[in-house]
Amino acid sequence: MASMAWVRVWPRWQRLLHAALALTMVAALGTYEGGRLHEWAGYAALAFVLLRLALGFGGPVPARFSAFVRAPMVTWDYAKAWWQGQEARHLNHNPLGAWMVVMLLSLGAGAAATGALYVTDRFWGEAWLIGAHALLAWPLVLMVPLHLAGVIHAIRRHRENLVAAMWWHGCKREEARDPALSTPETRLRG
Amino acid sequence: MNNQIQGLLAAMTIAACTSVTATGLATCDSGPKSGWQPIEKLEKQLTERGWTVRRVKEDGGCYEVYAINDKGQRVEAYFHPVTLAPVPSRPR
Repeated sequence: MASMAWVRVWPRWQRLLHAALALTMVAALGTYEGGRLHEWAGYAALAFVLLRLALGFGGPVPARFSAFVRAPMVTWDYAKAWWQGQEARHLNHNPLGAWMVVMLLSLGAGAAATGALYVTDRFWGEAWLIGAHALLAWPLVLMVPLHLAGVIHAIRRHRENLVAAMWWHGCKREEARDPALSTPETRLRG
Repeated sequence: MNNQIQGLLAAMTIAACTSVTATGLATCDSGPKSGWQPIEKLEKQLTERGWTVRRVKEDGGCYEVYAINDKGQRVEAYFHPVTLAPVPSRPR
């Protein structure tokens, strides 16, 4: 067995932001008909999404989108390897996971922004706006099971506890224990 | 037999279509639409009361109104299409 070196890949602020977004998502979905709680869940989600987007462009280097979002062709190659069960392990978000992050954040930003606009006096009752809100929010809800399925797949494929890494200690093994995994790993820089 | 299946499918389609629009926040036993008062009359009545009506649609056999009321609050209110009387609705 290889030596067990651990590296912190999700700093505390990132874990807290992830948990906050997950909770606001659950709160908003649980009150999908609208109302006070739904509105406040949306305002909170909007603030958290905007914070994550800002840090994605100007935050710590490993948390920047440029550190993990890959070009479509690179992502496609990863997806093909993934399909064949031969994808490389990544310490940061893998290329498919990165696009999931982008989708969740953009749909979340759109859903929260249209919802917040709808409950202003100016836009109250506008059918097109509440329609746009639904058109952004329901695909976001559908993305969540895909996100969870991707995480569960990665947990089984690389035999590592990603749930504990994202929700608790923030660390992942720096080196793969599985000698069958000979593909080079993505390293966190910065 | 075939007619029965067709009738059942039609009934299910109508049920599915109406259930999509009904939120269940309020329901009105309002009968056929020929007996309903026009939306314009409800709008006029509410405008005279100081409301700014944004949108009126049908929901659960009621008129559902999105408006800013006379106190400047955003409201989603239900009215009976025959009597135009306010209908209590379940809060969201």
